[in-house]
Amino acid sequence: MSGSIVLALRLITALVLFGFLGWALYYLYREVHRQSASIASRRVPGISIAIRHEPGKSILKHFSQPEIILGRDPGSDIPLMDDTASARHALLSYHHTQWWLEDLTSTNGTFLNNLPITMPTVITSGDEIRCGGTSLTITLSENIIVEPTLRIGKKP
Amino acid sequence: MNDRIQSRLLQWSALFLFLQSVILTLSPAVRERSWDVDYRLSHWIGYLAWVALTVLTHRVTTKSMAERDPYLFPAAALLSGWGILTIWRLDESFGIRQILWLGVSLILFALALRIRPNLSILRRYKYLFLSGGLFITALTLAFGTNPLGFGPRLWLGCCGVYFQPSEPLKLLLVIYLSAYLADRASIQLFSFPLLVPTLVVTGLALLLLLVQRDLGTASIFVCIFTIVIFIATGKRRILISATLFLLLALLVGYFFIDIIHIRVVGWLNPWDDPSGDSYQIIQSLLAVANGGALGRGLGIGSPLLVPVAISDFIFAAIAEETGLIGTLGLIATIWLILARGLITSLRATDRFRRYLAVGVVAYFGVQSLLIIGGNVRLLPLTGVTLPFVSYGGSSLLTSYIALYFLLAISNTEEVEPAQLHDPRPHSILAGVLAIGLAASALSAGWWAIVRGPDLLTRTDNPRRAIADRYVLRGELVDKNNTPINVTEGQSASYLRTYLYPQLAPVTGYTHNVYGQAGLEASLDNYLRGLQGNPTSLILWNQLLYGTPPPGLDVRLSIDITLQSAADQLLGGHRGAILLMNADTGEILVMVSHPVFDPNKLSEEGEALSQDQYSPLLNRATLGLYPIGTGTLPIIQAEFGERQPTDTELKAFYEKLGFYQAPILSMPAVYDVENSQVEQLRISPLQMSIAAAALSSGGVSPAPRIATAVNTIEQGWVILPALGMPSNVLQEQAANDAAQAFLKQGKSYWSHTGQASLNETIITWHLAGTQPDWQGASLVLVVALEENNTFLAQFIADNLMSAVLSQ
Repeated sequence: MSGSIVLALRLITALVLFGFLGWALYYLYREVHRQSASIASRRVPGISIAIRHEPGKSILKHFSQPEIILGRDPGSDIPLMDDTASARHALLSYHHTQWWLEDLTSTNGTFLNNLPITMPTVITSGDEIRCGGTSLTITLSENIIVEPTLRIGKKP
Repeated sequence: MNDRIQSRLLQWSALFLFLQSVILTLSPAVRERSWDVDYRLSHWIGYLAWVALTVLTHRVTTKSMAERDPYLFPAAALLSGWGILTIWRLDESFGIRQILWLGVSLILFALALRIRPNLSILRRYKYLFLSGGLFITALTLAFGTNPLGFGPRLWLGCCGVYFQPSEPLKLLLVIYLSAYLADRASIQLFSFPLLVPTLVVTGLALLLLLVQRDLGTASIFVCIFTIVIFIATGKRRILISATLFLLLALLVGYFFIDIIHIRVVGWLNPWDDPSGDSYQIIQSLLAVANGGALGRGLGIGSPLLVPVAISDFIFAAIAEETGLIGTLGLIATIWLILARGLITSLRATDRFRRYLAVGVVAYFGVQSLLIIGGNVRLLPLTGVTLPFVSYGGSSLLTSYIALYFLLAISNTEEVEPAQLHDPRPHSILAGVLAIGLAASALSAGWWAIVRGPDLLTRTDNPRRAIADRYVLRGELVDKNNTPINVTEGQSASYLRTYLYPQLAPVTGYTHNVYGQAGLEASLDNYLRGLQGNPTSLILWNQLLYGTPPPGLDVRLSIDITLQSAADQLLGGHRGAILLMNADTGEILVMVSHPVFDPNKLSEEGEALSQDQYSPLLNRATLGLYPIGTGTLPIIQAEFGERQPTDTELKAFYEKLGFYQAPILSMPAVYDVENSQVEQLRISPLQMSIAAAALSSGGVSPAPRIATAVNTIEQGWVILPALGMPSNVLQEQAANDAAQAFLKQGKSYWSHTGQASLNETIITWHLAGTQPDWQGASLVLVVALEENNTFLAQFIADNLMSAVLSQ
């Protein structure tokens, strides 16, 4: 009799042990699910760039991708029709919740508010970038909430 | 979310440990199969202390570390709670010590969580920590002790509190390596910056190995070093060369360092020396085998048979009582800690934290693999602890400090982890650890399921003797159901009692030290309930109790009244008497003198086995005597008055069965050494089978001694003779011979013969009923190890008249 009761207890104990592991696996599955969902839904705050090839005349372009390449290359996101610009001149990228400007070792340099940049630099609305003869004015969309990467273990 | 995961997982562990505690409480009832027992209650103190400490630590983590990894602490808490219950079950005093150490560890852990010391302190003072650790370890060289009083002197301490400095030294090595490597921008192989830590680690490992004889810690040092350097540099060459180095060290150690030699031999060939150097590993494998798939249940197995079950062999203890299913859960829980540790490392915000987390994972992973692998004979045995589970304050405290590092590293608001050049080293490390754990699990399954049933029948498995104390063994009774050998006492202290000790050379004995002999050995499966019971009952008992079902009684053909008369007649003379039913082969009397008292085997066993007159030997079936003129009536029945040639005689002896052992349910022999008729010796049993032909019309019966077994379902079931009767003489010739040897005034034929061998004279006396005798036809053989025809005649006449007048 005692043997049967303890046998049942032994079976339940084994189930509980695997219940512990099962829950851990279930939560891990949910973590993967949530992480992939949150990375997929990670939005880049829009950036508007006013491109001025010659004084007085500007084109406004809007981007929502995390990397923007500026250069003379026609495949660039912002083609610079300018002989003083390099083929791949500069990179605008979004990471660490900021937009960064980086010079891609261009021949004539990239200037932010008339200062040459040597390392990736954070930019804000109203900054003026000059690549060769082209000037660009940045406007960051303020109405978009900058969402940090969703992290696991945090209440949504 | 984090808090919910952690609290839910902790609830599952608390439920698991609660159920284990209930099983442990009920375990005496299961062992003794009765409700009237002393239940085990003291371990509930341990359980409640575990709950209190865990709740406290859970509260502190939720308050101070919102972003921590929520899987690590519940997994560690489950392992240490499991360890405490197992240790408590093995040894209560060590259980109390372990719960105190868990208290110290968790309170320090909680304090660290509260204060949240910055991990960069570790980085800044790495040399201070390392040299401190080395200094304390060096102290053990001078003042080292061992709490057990023997074995490697790896501990420091006094007044009952001992500490093993090599445990925290592993963690200090991890800190030092992480800080050292994080301080260097890029690590080149074969460069000076790598030389310094290499020398430190190799020197340390060698020192530990040669001076302290601590094989386990030395190999853990080498492994941790390799893994951290591998993660830092990403060169697979390091893994390969470290593996080669370890193999080389093993090979060199095999030839030159005795401690390694012993371990390697015990690993490769444990079966050669099961009671010496391989004793531990074989007992460990037996424990794993006894666990089987489901385990015996906490408190119901016998893990105390494995040496140092509380620390080095706690995995074997857990395997025995929770089975393969439990060990798989244990291994999966360890994997949970390792995998979350690696994820923590990947998410770490700087390289120091990343290396530190990897180092901690390497420490947990390598140490768990070494000891689990050692327990299941996947790796050579190294005496290290199983992190969080094994008994040992230093080990537990170090494990919780290491766990604190992981929690602190995982607790970060930072979104972007530090840059990772190459993702492969982490994947490779995860793969290697997973393969190692999977191999351990497979190996445990191999011993528990595939080889288990085989292993458990080994004679050095003490569980059989333990089961005999808890399960009623079947009785041996005579032909009128008079008990001969019975089991007396209460469950847990059953004792075999021999009511008719003069029969001991025949019925033998069952003893926890001297094993089994005689009928107790050959009928063991019936008496132990493994034969004659339905398979379902045997399996059910194995499942419930891990023991066979109660044994079945076996009836012998022995007539205890005649037996006792024969014993008295032979008295102090050496020899054997056999009285057999000539038709059925049932043995009514089997006497072998001198005798011994199996009730006193514990005291006299050693002396008996060295007695020059070998009282343990059953002379009736195992004693071989020269034939001489003993077989005269049988030979005369075949050949008449003429002298047969040796060839004819040999052919006739073969027909009589003198060249083969009689088949019956007890050991019997024939003379394998001499095949020449002049030198041939036969046992009294062989003689009586041959002589029976004269009383049974020329047919030699198949001998029987175990005649029936008392089964549960069908009552007494006849056990048929194992051999076949054979026609050895012409019926008329046999009848004539019986007539020819009929002595005046007697109703039975008889003959006295003599034989000599090496100056010993043997007296044979044969007697048997006439073929036309109305009662049961009987044949009697007396063999005396002395020249005493008078005594042989006297015994035979008395016994025959006693049995014929019955």
